[in-house]
Amino acid sequence: MSEHHITPLRTYLIIAASLLFLSGVTVWVSYVDLGPLNIVVAMLVATVKASLVAFFFMHLLWDDKKNLTMFLMSLMFFGIFVTITLLDTEFRGDLDLNPEVKDPINKRAAFYDTLPLTDSHGHPVDEHSDDHHEDKDHH
Amino acid sequence: MSENIKQNYLNHPKGLMSWLLTLDHKRIGLMYLVSGILFFFLGGLLALVMRMELAAPGNDFISNETYNNVYTLHGAIMIFLFIIPAIPGALGNILLPLMVGAKDVAFPRLNLASFYIYSFGALFAMYTIINGGVDTGWTFYTPYSTQSTSNVVPMTLGIFIIGFSSILTGLNFIATVHKMRIPGLTWYKLPLFVWALYGTSLVQITATPVLAITMVLLILERFLGIGIFDPALGGDPVLYQHFFWFYSHPAVYIMILPAFGIISEIIPVHSRKKIWGYKFIAYSTLSIAFIGFLVWGHHMFTSGQSVFSQIVFSFITYFVGIPTGVKIFSWILTMYKGQVSFTPPMLYALSFLFLFTIGGLTGIFLGAVALDIHLHDTYFVVAHFHYVMQGGTIVAFLGGLHHWWPKTFGVMYNQTIAKICAVGVFLGFNGTFFPQFLLGLRGMPRRYATYSEEFVELHSYSTFWSGILGISIFIAVMNLFWSFIKKNKVDPGSNPWGAMTLEWTHTSSPPHPHNFEEEPVLEHGPYDYDKVIVEKTYK
Ligand code: HEM
Ligand SMILES: [Cu+2]
Repeated sequence: MSEHHITPLRTYLIIAASLLFLSGVTVWVSYVDLGPLNIVVAMLVATVKASLVAFFFMHLLWDDKKNLTMFLMSLMFFGIFVTITLLDTEFRGDLDLNPEVKDPINKRAAFYDTLPLTDSHGHPVDEHSDDHHEDKDHH
Repeated sequence: MSENIKQNYLNHPKGLMSWLLTLDHKRIGLMYLVSGILFFFLGGLLALVMRMELAAPGNDFISNETYNNVYTLHGAIMIFLFIIPAIPGALGNILLPLMVGAKDVAFPRLNLASFYIYSFGALFAMYTIINGGVDTGWTFYTPYSTQSTSNVVPMTLGIFIIGFSSILTGLNFIATVHKMRIPGLTWYKLPLFVWALYGTSLVQITATPVLAITMVLLILERFLGIGIFDPALGGDPVLYQHFFWFYSHPAVYIMILPAFGIISEIIPVHSRKKIWGYKFIAYSTLSIAFIGFLVWGHHMFTSGQSVFSQIVFSFITYFVGIPTGVKIFSWILTMYKGQVSFTPPMLYALSFLFLFTIGGLTGIFLGAVALDIHLHDTYFVVAHFHYVMQGGTIVAFLGGLHHWWPKTFGVMYNQTIAKICAVGVFLGFNGTFFPQFLLGLRGMPRRYATYSEEFVELHSYSTFWSGILGISIFIAVMNLFWSFIKKNKVDPGSNPWGAMTLEWTHTSSPPHPHNFEEEPVLEHGPYDYDKVIVEKTYK
């Protein structure tokens, strides 16, 4: 076992302050529209916060490195899950020439009928123009 | 069990409470074993009900609705209540501390908690049955599972709860392997069953949380309509399948890795030969555990997922064949020029080699996108996964039970009956499931209570042999229990098969309540048949 590490109070306070600051950042960015990056930024901030808690408050930084390995493994598996799932959702219907099938599923959801239509970058599009064919380019 | 054998974990301490509150890994293992076997029989009964219905076309035995309930419960019970929790829970618990020379697992209280969490989850699953069943199939695919009026919530809640038991057991085993080994028992001197449990545990703690999330999302979707899976709310029903299989493909390795471990113990002992390729087997366990996380989409080839994913998943699936093949060849080479004796455990191990190879290879067929488009949701898939789960896992489990029975209980079962049953299981199994490959190839879809005339021959053949299979398994297990009544005791110090691992060489049968009277000193590796002579005491 690794010997017991005593963290100075100062460190705890600094971390606590950073967490509060980052919470502020989360609220603040929620007002900025970054299009599809919205979720990425939100997750990034949340991950940094969770890591600070794990590393300092939960002493992962000073612990047996096996525990760190476990932690990093869980991040890696999460990454695998999200990345490979996106290989599906981002490319779904690719080979299909029928635009009805090709469109990402949520663009045709009834729910979205109540919202202004946006393209995959979050920019508003004109409801009546047929922009399905443009989608091909960014793959 | 007996008065004249000295103190052992079975007779000391005494009383019901000493069992219910025990912290002894061996007793907890036995409680898992008993519940596991009960669920196995319940699931088996449901299987026979299905085979009865399928003996002839038409609905002459049960209705369509009942049939849907029966196959769902059969799958859910076998997988979530028996194979996943009970096999590591039973054999893993009983053997792991003994094999590493420890007094117990790293966290005995957590171990007991794990058993009770499992029991609590199982109650929900049983409630489902009393309350009229559930009809979605064990995979609970959306959108049907968010709409079905059957007991989707109690069943998924039960599975959610049982998942925690899985995670805690995995955690406990990992800590035990890291921290509780006796001095000198280095990683490469560990019995391969320990490596297998270690790999299983890694998968349990990394994959099971995703199952829990999936079940929670499904329940939330049903109650609150949060719109994760419902396209009308901007969700994606195929996303459910991603979630589910991200857990459930790794889960098939939770099911098969312990079986691999059992086979790696049985084959060298009953061939009296050093295992061939120890490190290959050990590392293939870890690589299977890892690759298992990258192939889940091979269950989704007809779900409408993107062509890009189809290709990626199909490609990676082939890689699973490599470490699996490494193991098969290592076992075969272990037997080569060994003194193979056809004991009951060895007969099961040989069946395993044959059946699992068929199961694994047909898995590769299904991993090929173009072929799977035709075979998906047909009996070919049913045959594939029964060859790996029953022909692989359950046959290995039966082999393991026969191998460690004299160790666990200090009594020997009737060898002749055991051998006949082992052969019966092999024949019954092939008779039941081989025709299902043909049925699948000819287009018989799975999960239907009836079928068109052309399939009647193969179906009735399958039903006939399933009877033989059921009877053989039943008698095999009864034969084991009969040994308590028969009291055909083995000498407490004996080593019937001449094995070399610590549980045979350094403790009595049944083991002492604290496993070893003093801390064992390692004298040789687990399979050093080339260096040391260990006598068989059972002829
Ligand atoms: C050699 C490695 C294996 C490969 C390449 C493989 C491949 C596959 C593929 C591609 C499918 C999907 C078929 C379809 O639905 O169309 C499948 C289904 C299945 N496999 Fe395997 N498999 C392997 C080993 C195993 C093992 C070891 C187990 C369990 C112990 C297992 C259990 C299952 C189950 C339960 C299903 C069906 C799930 C369902 O739809 O209900 N497989 N396998
Ligand atoms: Cu799979």
